[in-house]
Amino acid sequence: MAKTSTICPFCGCGCNFYLVTEQNKVVGVEPSPGNPVNKGMLCAKGWNSYDFINSPLRLTTPLVRKNGKLTESTWDEALDFTVRRLREIQSDSGSNSLGFLASAKVSNEENYLFMKMARAAFKTNNIDHCARL
Amino acid sequence: MAGLAATFGSGAMTNSINEMDEAELFFVIGSNTTEQHPLIGTRVINAVERGARLIVVDPRDIPLARYAHMHLRQNIGTDVAVLNGLMNIIIEEGLYDREYVETRTEGFDELKRIVSRYTPRVVEQISGIRADDLMLAAREYAGTGKAMLLYAMGITQHTTGTDNVKTCANLAMLTGHVGRPSTGVNPLRGQNNVQGACDMGGLPVVYTGYQKVGDEPVIQKFSDAWGVDDLDKAPGLTITTMMEAADRGELKALYVMGENPYLSDPDSKHIERALSNLDLLVVQDIFLSETAALADVVLPAACFAEKAGTYTNTERRVQLSCKAVDPPGSARADWEIIQDVCARAGYPMSYADPSEIMAEINRVTPSYAGITYPRLEMGYGLSWPCPNEEHPGTAYLHKDRFSKGLGTFLPCEFKPMAEPPDTEYDFILTTGRMYFQYHTGTMSRRVGILEREAPEPLVEINPEDARKLGIRDRDLVEITSRRGAVKIKAEVTARVPRKVVFSTFHFHEVPINLLTNPAHDPVSGIPEYKGCAVKIRRCA
Amino acid sequence: MKRIRKDSLKEVLINWALDRTVIAPRRTERGECIYDTFDEAGFTLDIAKPSAPPKRSLFPQSEVIFQIEQGGYRQAVSSSPTLLFGIRPCDHKGLLQSQSFMSQDLDDPYYRAKSEKVLTVVMACPGSMSPTCFCTTTSSGPWAESGFDLQLYDDGDAFLVEIGSKRGFDLVSSSSFEEMDDAKAAEKIRAFQKAAGSRIPIISEVEDAMERLETSNKASDEVWEGFGKKCITCGGCSFVCPTCTCFTVSDRVVSVETGDRIRSWDSCLYAGFTKEASGHNPRRTSALRIKRRHEHKLLYHKDRDHHGGLCTCVGCGRCSDYCPVHIGLIEVAQAICSAKDSAGEEKRYSGGVS
Repeated sequence: MAKTSTICPFCGCGCNFYLVTEQNKVVGVEPSPGNPVNKGMLCAKGWNSYDFINSPLRLTTPLVRKNGKLTESTWDEALDFTVRRLREIQSDSGSNSLGFLASAKVSNEENYLFMKMARAAFKTNNIDHCARL
Repeated sequence: MAGLAATFGSGAMTNSINEMDEAELFFVIGSNTTEQHPLIGTRVINAVERGARLIVVDPRDIPLARYAHMHLRQNIGTDVAVLNGLMNIIIEEGLYDREYVETRTEGFDELKRIVSRYTPRVVEQISGIRADDLMLAAREYAGTGKAMLLYAMGITQHTTGTDNVKTCANLAMLTGHVGRPSTGVNPLRGQNNVQGACDMGGLPVVYTGYQKVGDEPVIQKFSDAWGVDDLDKAPGLTITTMMEAADRGELKALYVMGENPYLSDPDSKHIERALSNLDLLVVQDIFLSETAALADVVLPAACFAEKAGTYTNTERRVQLSCKAVDPPGSARADWEIIQDVCARAGYPMSYADPSEIMAEINRVTPSYAGITYPRLEMGYGLSWPCPNEEHPGTAYLHKDRFSKGLGTFLPCEFKPMAEPPDTEYDFILTTGRMYFQYHTGTMSRRVGILEREAPEPLVEINPEDARKLGIRDRDLVEITSRRGAVKIKAEVTARVPRKVVFSTFHFHEVPINLLTNPAHDPVSGIPEYKGCAVKIRRCA
Repeated sequence: MKRIRKDSLKEVLINWALDRTVIAPRRTERGECIYDTFDEAGFTLDIAKPSAPPKRSLFPQSEVIFQIEQGGYRQAVSSSPTLLFGIRPCDHKGLLQSQSFMSQDLDDPYYRAKSEKVLTVVMACPGSMSPTCFCTTTSSGPWAESGFDLQLYDDGDAFLVEIGSKRGFDLVSSSSFEEMDDAKAAEKIRAFQKAAGSRIPIISEVEDAMERLETSNKASDEVWEGFGKKCITCGGCSFVCPTCTCFTVSDRVVSVETGDRIRSWDSCLYAGFTKEASGHNPRRTSALRIKRRHEHKLLYHKDRDHHGGLCTCVGCGRCSDYCPVHIGLIEVAQAICSAKDSAGEEKRYSGGVS
């Protein structure tokens, strides 16, 4: 058994809990008793949040649409295709024909890199996220 | 956000959660706090039990209203009128904080002029709130030293959302309730890293820490930091305008990370058309969301448990989350995927782990400069602004001066909702969330217990309306707006006032956003989820 | 009787951890104390009342119990040797009660497999570990009477070691454990127990509430409605309770022919816990669910268990510590006692909210 400190993935309260793991599988949560936000408490979503992590419906491999169908592919293929198409569209229609939607659910570091990718690598300020929705 | 930034100079919760334990009064408007921010809602309940006063302004009879000393149920979309009415009374009766207004603010005369028209009688006609109640509420809020104003998406999700926010800020400044402990204007953010996504510049007009994309020194700083010399200086498109551009064929590629706009955005038919009109749709997510199912490329991502990173909560507290397990299959952390995309795009990045990314954020973001991994590992997070490594973080903002100097009163006139009910579409549909589900359900609907507790969407309808329409509890009804129709089971309840129906957007089986109005606030781009005209009938 | 010096304890734990998982208090980098897999660097004795009971070592929050394969299924009973170090007597009592509950009518093989491999090293309490401790009211502390493998009593720079089982005897064979005169040790332990017991006040409201529920046939509805009004249905009271072992069973479909059957912690505060297939719910309001929970704790299972403690409550006080709106057993007992006496008037479940 191991306990790892994480932040609840649901609302904006930012409750802190330990994920309880057994052999690289999440089996439960334990609220942080010392964190001043939640002080050892959680709501129903927090207490049960471990469950979706192990869902068999999780995406485990890249998918690329072929003949109209999303088909399993390799990372190389998916990433090569993504970048080639982004660059083609950019050179045909300009940087502002590209749009990027960041996420209110991923980390600060990831939002920062995503924003940097849109602006530095693809030269567009067309970046927003669904926070307001 | 835009509203608060214009008034105070920065857009975020001004005070912190722990200060609620000392507050003497809560003014909660447009926030179903116990269901949407449970551990903040319970702070309010506990405060009331120890003697704090509670004023709830909400059309619905939300659970928190059971604790309210006053529950003002305004007509949907009349928040500006209600808040102006409160200020009218406060000025009229001389209850405002003169010294504060003189020394800390500007624009009072204009505020006075505009709110002078919102007499209690006028406001009663617009909002349905009795003039006497409004007067009592105004006196209580103005007369209490430690009064915290809390709001959430009931304020922002209107075509007048920015006006609503500015008006909340006006009310707080007028009474001197900003810049002191246990006061302030406190937007409760709905998702665990909304604040962070905004702070990190996931917005078309700003870089990290709200540094504007058009400012020369800012452009220079980021050009140097990123080793590029051709950053775009013009503001980009918001999500709402991106969808419109995609519909017109001007936006051709969209790269979506961890969002599900197909279910979350208004007028789903329009979104589907816009997304299918794209030449390229890339979706990076942990599940095959409704949006991912439309994509050309789907990139499997790690969830919060499977990577390290920081998240910024609603009170600006940046907290570290550690990696507990490996991602499933060949899924990878979002930061690793982005790094790979950039490498292929000829813009290589070489961060070994998220702490190195944070080190760069520290360098380019003054408000995050002192929020480093070693410090986060040793404590329970740091609230920005935190300008250096010795700084303890900031519990409440605007202590002696506003971020922009003087706070500016930005008075607004009441404007009716974009699509008021008429004889055909005679009900107002307002949308929100349930306690046991979350956003588009991508995560919460895959949690057995949550799905058991809230397995299906319902539309709340007032018993009197239900009786007239021959609708009984759990009857299947059809709700139709100018944009679409859905069939959904009715919950007959007095939680909603007459002529208002309420539902949620968690369930793909009943995509309520087929109905909602994409008309949006001109500044923030936030659509009017809180009100559109619909008609309702019982399915035969 | 044996004795171990505090500065030798870490060495002993390192040895114990060689062939089993040792769960022990750990101080995290940020100074928080939690129970976790033994970690030499973070090991601490400075943990008053752990925020969580040790039940998840025997009853994980979620656990695969069957694996469904093509044309059949395979029962998945997992267990591994585990030592719970430094658990408090109330929590130990919670384990004993769960153990008897999990074996009384129907054997629970998943729980039994783990419980057979668990060793318990109890740390007797010198007094209240927090203001909500009431183990003397429920006869579940501040020391364990039986059922443990070892029990430690603080004796300045050392612990006195009481051996409670053959397996416990085997644990203390190393030279780190010094022999001690039995009579002298027993005297010291008696003195410790006497002092400790006197430091933990009896919460008379808990006894009075039980009495009231018994004689006046349930508390007035206002008590339950008052609590029902503020409960946010988090389920936390069940999850932090050392004796709550209710679970739900669900199937995780992996493919057409394969999947897992999982059991996971459930809470009687959730509406779905008692909702019937027809849609009818005998406990449809929070008030009714809180009533049911506390009548279980204070009335229906008020008998003393075979270890002499109150069934279904061990007086740890965590439901009071961690309920976001202060609906713990202590607060409920106080409310029952201060409510107007509704003697003679039988309240019915149906209707509930009057």
